Amino acid sequence: MLSYYLKLALISLRKTPFLSFLMVATIAVGIGAAMTTYTVSYLLQKDPIPTKSDRLFNVRLNSYGPDKPFNISQGKEVPPFILTYQDAINLQNAKQGVNQTPLGSFKIMTRTTEQSITEAKMTPIRSAYRDIFNMFEVPFKFGGAWDEIADQDGLQVAVISSELNDKLFGGENSVGKSLLLGDLQYRVVGVTDDWYPIPKFFDYRTRAFNKPRDVIVPFQAQINNELWTGSDVSYQCWKEPADDSFSAILASECVWVSYWVELNSASERNNYMDFLVNYSMEQREYGRFLREPLHQLFNVKEQLIERKIIKDDGNVAVWLAFAFLAVCLLNCMAMMVAKFHGKAGEVGLRRAVGASKQDIITQFTVETCIIGLLGGILGLLLAQIGLSITAQLYSHLYAEMLEMTAGIVIMTIVLAVASAVTFGLLPTLHAAKVQPSSQLKSL
Amino acid sequence: MLSMRHLSKAYYTDTIKTQALQPFDLRIEQGEFVSVVGPSGSGKTTFLNITGLLEDFCDGSYELDGFNVEKLSDKAKSKLRNEKVGFIFQSFNLIPELNLYDNVDMPLRYRKLSSKERHERIMDALNKVGLASRKDHYPSQLSGGQQQRVAIARAIAGKPSFLLADEPTGNLDSKMADSIMELLMDINAQGTSIVMVTHDTQQAEKAHRIIEIRDGVIIERKHCNKAIA
Repeated sequence: MLSYYLKLALISLRKTPFLSFLMVATIAVGIGAAMTTYTVSYLLQKDPIPTKSDRLFNVRLNSYGPDKPFNISQGKEVPPFILTYQDAINLQNAKQGVNQTPLGSFKIMTRTTEQSITEAKMTPIRSAYRDIFNMFEVPFKFGGAWDEIADQDGLQVAVISSELNDKLFGGENSVGKSLLLGDLQYRVVGVTDDWYPIPKFFDYRTRAFNKPRDVIVPFQAQINNELWTGSDVSYQCWKEPADDSFSAILASECVWVSYWVELNSASERNNYMDFLVNYSMEQREYGRFLREPLHQLFNVKEQLIERKIIKDDGNVAVWLAFAFLAVCLLNCMAMMVAKFHGKAGEVGLRRAVGASKQDIITQFTVETCIIGLLGGILGLLLAQIGLSITAQLYSHLYAEMLEMTAGIVIMTIVLAVASAVTFGLLPTLHAAKVQPSSQLKSL
Repeated sequence: MLSMRHLSKAYYTDTIKTQALQPFDLRIEQGEFVSVVGPSGSGKTTFLNITGLLEDFCDGSYELDGFNVEKLSDKAKSKLRNEKVGFIFQSFNLIPELNLYDNVDMPLRYRKLSSKERHERIMDALNKVGLASRKDHYPSQLSGGQQQRVAIARAIAGKPSFLLADEPTGNLDSKMADSIMELLMDINAQGTSIVMVTHDTQQAEKAHRIIEIRDGVIIERKHCNKAIA
């Protein structure tokens, strides 16, 4: 019987092609707009590391000087979101968390040992301890993290992205091969697999939707080699360094190192807070940490909200887009009423030859399903166009990021069909109520 | 067999009651051919709609082939209508987008029949009306008389006990009308009861019995001498 209803639905749609197109297009426009907005919102605001987002913490120490706070927000003093080098190293050496790492960054001309100097490209580099790979669940295609000695001694080793590996080594296993950062030779120990945490919770707000950096090296290697790019780090001081040297920056009260720790439970979080307070009290002996110990631990979601990377006030744009979808569906409903009203004669005839109201409802519901399905497919195309336009408008988002997941594609189709059936219910019930005897002379 | 006792029908608006059919008794035996005549607006079509379970009645009782229709749900009434009643309309009421085969198939689709059985019944019905060779044609490709033949094929495909015809020759010229009447009489001769509303006295005379409806009052006007098949 379903095949019969499908056949009738297709005949019905062909009978009024313009009206059918308008209904499908109305649903498609609504679905396209709603799903474009929803997809952008979903992709930009989803949990970047769902298995650990409540166990990873950004560490903030109120290390600013006594004269002025780092910042005031809503009348409250706010500590810096980055640490001084010396605090980062002290926390790292204390090893109070399950995993922990400072994060540094710099830019440098990069090439393979086989490439000429003219082929070198300016490459942003991440520096960290080996814990970063475990903490941030970085997948490996080849090799793995460097060892603890590399962390301690700042050995010149590197983990590179599979994209860079494709570019520099043709996608082969490059573990053991060499990379030149400036004129320093680094040995590749690992190649990451696809790793695009969105948003990139551990980076600055302006870089939250960029791809992770293609090269990760030991934090201590950056320090040993005095690799510093002023324009690549957020670097703020309440007291200027003694001189312009790199060692003076390291010894200064300037903050520039982001610090992350993994803690497994609420009690571990409390203990870590106690540790931070104790640490700052100890530091007072050296004339540091003279402000209140307003230290903070922000988990991933808290960090994203605090850094204004995502919003926690519900997404107004998504609500507006779905309201627009509802308006489109109401328009479509009006067209369905008109279409089904035009079929009153056929309904009367079908009722006369033995169709029950239920049969009529099923027949028209199948028709609305097909309208919804076609609207969903067309809406999906419109949403894809909407996403590519969005990617072009917001150039800081990398294009691959704004791709619909299989779940969103399925959701789009289901939403379109369910919406069409829901909004088609009234016209369908209205059509099924036709008094057959009143319509048999109007076919 | 069809039996109506003290059956009546009235239409109500906010302030007005219109008595469409005065209370009446009527019995139609299996195999009878009954004509229903009367002036326009007298209640003939209302009578036919009630007989075909397309409209409810107000008072009285109605039994169709042993089923008391008053207590039936919409679904049960639809099933009974599908199995026991075939409709033929003045304006044929074929669906223009469906070919003849699919038009005749329509009542069979609401029964649980195998596609083979449906096919046999459709072809049998189209053969009876002489249009099997044109099964793939569309209604617009046929003359009025041929369209009415398709409507008759649709009505008999389900092998109903009763055919209810509402002015089946009203839109046809006299030659075509005669040919349709012959077809109906053939069908009746094979045992199907027919109730035919008509304005045409000449066609009405061909039935076994004539019922006249005047201002909602049903009057048995004539008993013919023809034997019921």
